[in-house]
Amino acid sequence: MSDQTPIKPGSQLAAEFWEKGRSESCPIYNMHGHPGEYHSMYMPRGKPADMLPAMDAAGVKMVCFAHFAALNCPDIGNRLAVEAVRAFPDRFRAYLAVNPHYPEMLARDLSEYDSLTDVYVGLKLLADYHKVRLSDVRYRRALEFADARGLLVLAHTYDGSPFNGPDEVRRVLDTYQHLHLLMGHSLNAAWEEAAAIARDHPNAHLELTGAFGQRGAVEVLCQGAGSGKMLFGTDVPMYGQHQAIGQLLSADITDEDIHNICHRTAEKLLGL
Amino acid sequence: MRFFDCNCFIGLPMNGMLKPVATADELLACMDRAGIERALVWHVAQRDYAVPTGNRLLAEAIAGHHDRLVGCWSIMANQWGELPQPESFCSQMAEANVRALRAFPELHSFLLRGESCGPILEAMMRRRIPLMLPMRDGVRWENAYDLLAEFPDLVCILSEIGTWRAERMFPALMERYAHVYLDISHYILDGGIEAFVRKYGGERLLFGTDFPRRGQGGMMLAVKHAGILEEAQQAIAAGNLERLLAEEQL
Repeated sequence: MSDQTPIKPGSQLAAEFWEKGRSESCPIYNMHGHPGEYHSMYMPRGKPADMLPAMDAAGVKMVCFAHFAALNCPDIGNRLAVEAVRAFPDRFRAYLAVNPHYPEMLARDLSEYDSLTDVYVGLKLLADYHKVRLSDVRYRRALEFADARGLLVLAHTYDGSPFNGPDEVRRVLDTYQHLHLLMGHSLNAAWEEAAAIARDHPNAHLELTGAFGQRGAVEVLCQGAGSGKMLFGTDVPMYGQHQAIGQLLSADITDEDIHNICHRTAEKLLGL
Repeated sequence: MRFFDCNCFIGLPMNGMLKPVATADELLACMDRAGIERALVWHVAQRDYAVPTGNRLLAEAIAGHHDRLVGCWSIMANQWGELPQPESFCSQMAEANVRALRAFPELHSFLLRGESCGPILEAMMRRRIPLMLPMRDGVRWENAYDLLAEFPDLVCILSEIGTWRAERMFPALMERYAHVYLDISHYILDGGIEAFVRKYGGERLLFGTDFPRRGQGGMMLAVKHAGILEEAQQAIAAGNLERLLAEEQL
């Protein structure tokens, strides 16, 4: 036992990550982050600057995030996201967080979007927490905006949710065929349904925050939709990146799948 | 780096799961693949079916594997004599290589307090037998607080604390009670291991996986590359649990 690569013997990626904590051949794009403060959670690395050392240690090239203030504090809005990205333009990009309860604010943010393309990669929707269904008229303006531009839309998606469960996800995808819907949490834990939706819709993708927490979920998604549809994410700085990488290495998938998940899918979507 | 997993289980859950591990042999094969030397293991029938039978199934499963598998039985309120009395229970534990206990009070309909579980909890305190509290499986934080207030010298492992909203729950217990430990199987907070070690040192974290509910590699890699001294990494990976079990007086 002592001579073999831990976690997954025979895997070059496992050997590299085990030895160095990162892989030169397998950079990581973490497509789901939330810097800032959160009312019910202590995050020791909540500030964007404090996230960087751990990103370096895990070989995370970039985090695409929705700032917690943008989601939870309309008084602050998306301002801190813009500041964070501009402070570290090689390491961060943001999703413009959409709060459906403030249409004037949203209109203003969308009117400024084109002057902030160095910051934003798309939109973030948090229907479960804002308590508004994805198909609600209050999201229409944002979704039409994203669809017209072919933007990424990272949406929180969860099994059993009336706001962003499987039916709502299908409604969005059936209506908007040009935006790229990143199914945040891959409909935790309706893995087979999430895989089917991703398979059936060219513009649907599976973001893996939370999926690492259930052994076997990554395999279901990979078998059902293919690793070319899957994206690495951890809700960083809520959840560490090494633990997610370790779970990915543990999964019964190939090193090529891991490359797809960690960087190739993201590189295509981000146009890199 | 040597790993001793403080939290894994075998058996087929009543409501199924994606990749169960039914037997000790299967568990050992997965441990071999991952590079985990030893494990503290319980049987899911303790939770889903009945404690007495679940304990027996666990003892049978790990017999012959005592070099690598250490058992974790369950306890419950015992006014009806469903389990042996504490002294006899402890003898049976020793014989079966069972060195820790866990409880599911909410699911098994009892209160984990002195009035109902006093004799076994007192025996555990005297003999320094660790009690694992699976916070995900129905032990509330109030239960943990109340239990430790009543049994402050209990060796207690806060287990499966959940992947969020626990960070403000456990520190007070760490600070007030010297024998409380944290199973890191769900402690995936970014920077969490480092923050804990800065504040409380590295002796009270225990490597755990909650396998096969969660994979084994996650916390292995997290410990290996935690921004702490290598000595602390090894303590968390195996040394702390080994020390805990060595202090036990079964």
